[in-house]
Amino acid sequence: MPLIWLAFIVLAVATLGYVMGWRRALSTVGGDARHLHSLPSYYGWNVFLKVVVPAFGLMIAWVLIQPLLIDRSVVQLIPETEVSEGSNIGLVMSEVRRTAQGITAAVAQGDMAPDMATDANADAAEVAQVLKDAGQIVTSDLSPAIVQGAQRYVELSSFGNLLMSIAVLAVGLLAMAWAVRESTPVFRARNVVEQGIKALLIAAASIAILTTIGIILSLVFNTIEFFRLYPAGDFFFLLEWAPSFSGRGGASSLGVLPLLWGTVYISIVALLVAVPIGLFSAIYLSEYASPRVRAIAKPLLEVLAGIPTIVYGLFALLTVGPLLVSVFGDGGLLGVSWQGGGRAVITAGLVMGIMLIPFVSSLSDDIINAVPQAMRDGSYGLGATQSETIKQVVLPAALPGIVGAILLAASRAIGETMIVVLGAGAAARLSLNPFEAMTTVTAKIVSQLTGDSDFASPEALVAFALGMTLFLLTLGLNVFALYIVRKYREQYD
Amino acid sequence: MYDAPHMTESHVTAAADVKIAARNVQVYYGDNHAIKDVNVDIQDKTVTAFIGPSGCGKSTFLRCLNRMNDTIDVARIEGDIRIDGQDIYDKAVDPVQLRAKVGMVFQKPNPFPKSIYDNVAYGPRIHGLARNKAELDEIVERSLRRGAIWDEVKDRLNAPGTGLSGGQQQRLCIARAVATEPEILLMDEPCSALDPIATGQIEELIDELRRNYALVIVTHSMQQAARVSQKTAYFHLGNLVEYGDTTKIFTNPEDTRTENYITGRIG
Repeated sequence: MPLIWLAFIVLAVATLGYVMGWRRALSTVGGDARHLHSLPSYYGWNVFLKVVVPAFGLMIAWVLIQPLLIDRSVVQLIPETEVSEGSNIGLVMSEVRRTAQGITAAVAQGDMAPDMATDANADAAEVAQVLKDAGQIVTSDLSPAIVQGAQRYVELSSFGNLLMSIAVLAVGLLAMAWAVRESTPVFRARNVVEQGIKALLIAAASIAILTTIGIILSLVFNTIEFFRLYPAGDFFFLLEWAPSFSGRGGASSLGVLPLLWGTVYISIVALLVAVPIGLFSAIYLSEYASPRVRAIAKPLLEVLAGIPTIVYGLFALLTVGPLLVSVFGDGGLLGVSWQGGGRAVITAGLVMGIMLIPFVSSLSDDIINAVPQAMRDGSYGLGATQSETIKQVVLPAALPGIVGAILLAASRAIGETMIVVLGAGAAARLSLNPFEAMTTVTAKIVSQLTGDSDFASPEALVAFALGMTLFLLTLGLNVFALYIVRKYREQYD
Repeated sequence: MYDAPHMTESHVTAAADVKIAARNVQVYYGDNHAIKDVNVDIQDKTVTAFIGPSGCGKSTFLRCLNRMNDTIDVARIEGDIRIDGQDIYDKAVDPVQLRAKVGMVFQKPNPFPKSIYDNVAYGPRIHGLARNKAELDEIVERSLRRGAIWDEVKDRLNAPGTGLSGGQQQRLCIARAVATEPEILLMDEPCSALDPIATGQIEELIDELRRNYALVIVTHSMQQAARVSQKTAYFHLGNLVEYGDTTKIFTNPEDTRTENYITGRIG
């Protein structure tokens, strides 16, 4: 039985339980709900929860554990001779699983006779031929051991699935019977449901946290794997980024410093653009603009934040780059030839700065608005002008929040990819010249993983080390931002 | 019984030291006519209390006296308010300068998120009242002494002003207002956020400040008006109903509305 059907049946049982719980609770008090501890619907929900939670819990656990047990059982059928040179048992097992999937699908389509699927003496070549005819993807040389393993796999999984369906339904029905019996006037169904809701919310929060932990762990383990293949000293201190893909041969130089420098440099240029413009527009919008101007200008500014970064990238590549070349390039307006091509740090930095303006301005605007009017009144009451008030009272009071906003924008800048790919070029370089092409960590992660890459090679695994570096960098910035905000936060009242 | 408005008598006798003279003042908040035809003469070196039920316009009128209503877009003021004979709504008057001369203390203590020293030094700094650090130190000390808070904060002038207790914060705000050398101090319910002990300290301070300034205080507490003021004005629904000596207003009010308010029948 497919899982989705099983799930629907469990839900149906739970709904039936809801009605039965409701009915039974009402019938015990002769239909007068005032004599019940809780509203009748709470008795219904109590039954519903008590069916759904254990049944689905068992189902999820079963689905997770069953493949492990089957693998362990099937692996004994595979003789060691099957594992060829340069391969490992894991690869053979995935071959077995793929064949098993093929057999299941072929039987379901009716292309393979069910007895062939289970016949332990079936000819391996014949099975392979039938699978190929059925449009299943299998390797050409299916060995008898693999076919036997796959058959065993199919057999065990269908048996396991049957067992699971029975077990889940049994648990659901038992739970329903128990919970319906519970529905007596003194039973505190309302409190039980309250607990259930709390558990649900905790579960949602845990999933978010566990996923984060999972992502971090995967980064950490892959990074460790990378450092096993490639010396950490070279990664951190080598001044050169020159990966060579396995096809071409030769050793790679995977120094992170040029990439890190590109990231930091482009981010700094972006912040130099975004922070003054964003902050000043926030001050104008929150302190000087009339409500009508504000009502129009603020949403317009925030539209900038809604533009996909790839569009900014195009803008950098097609508009800003050529424009800058026509000013700073050979034969340009200034008569200097600083800039060779459109792709440069300054191109990407400028466009990224434009992208970040709404981040800085919108957050700063909210923060400036949060400064109590009493502060401004106090300052005006002492005969200060508007700009004196802003400079000496409002901005200092809002500063921690503004720093937080800027650091958030910096995190965005560091993580930005598309604008860099299109605007800054792909050359990893350590240079101070903003008119030269450079590249960033993010852009290099993309280029290391796109195309045909072998995930066991240091050239691909380096992406995880780069990702880890970025993660630590932005994490550090965020922690620093929190620290600043906490330390300098002003209590207004 | 009286041909002229009842206030005529009092303002004629005190005409010699009238500090603020308001004539036919109207205030509109958008379409709302908040202050109607208010005439009042406020005397120098005197505490004048504005009393009346909530929404009667006493705070609004107070904020006209230092043009704080200018910061509210929808507020519109008509009529004539003169301080020392100078029309404060004249184009020649800079509201920013005016506010330095007419200090204001607010309902809720609102020290800036700065040190105690910087809070008091704020006004003198923006108006350039001190030529050097020593003079500024002196102004700060003098102001804090006038605010009757010097002894409590002299050892921690660099601590944030927001860390003080409510009563201390309010006295700091008074010291801050005093530091710009104003001639008039406006206080908008300065004790409404304070406990009785802090209130007592502020009231004592108000009585002392009377020696140097003209004080106008808005209050909801009739006992407070009776304790600290020499003159009382009763506002009702945007009208100035009665204005005169505090003792007279509280013992022998002429208008029945005033009497009803004071005896607790309304408000």
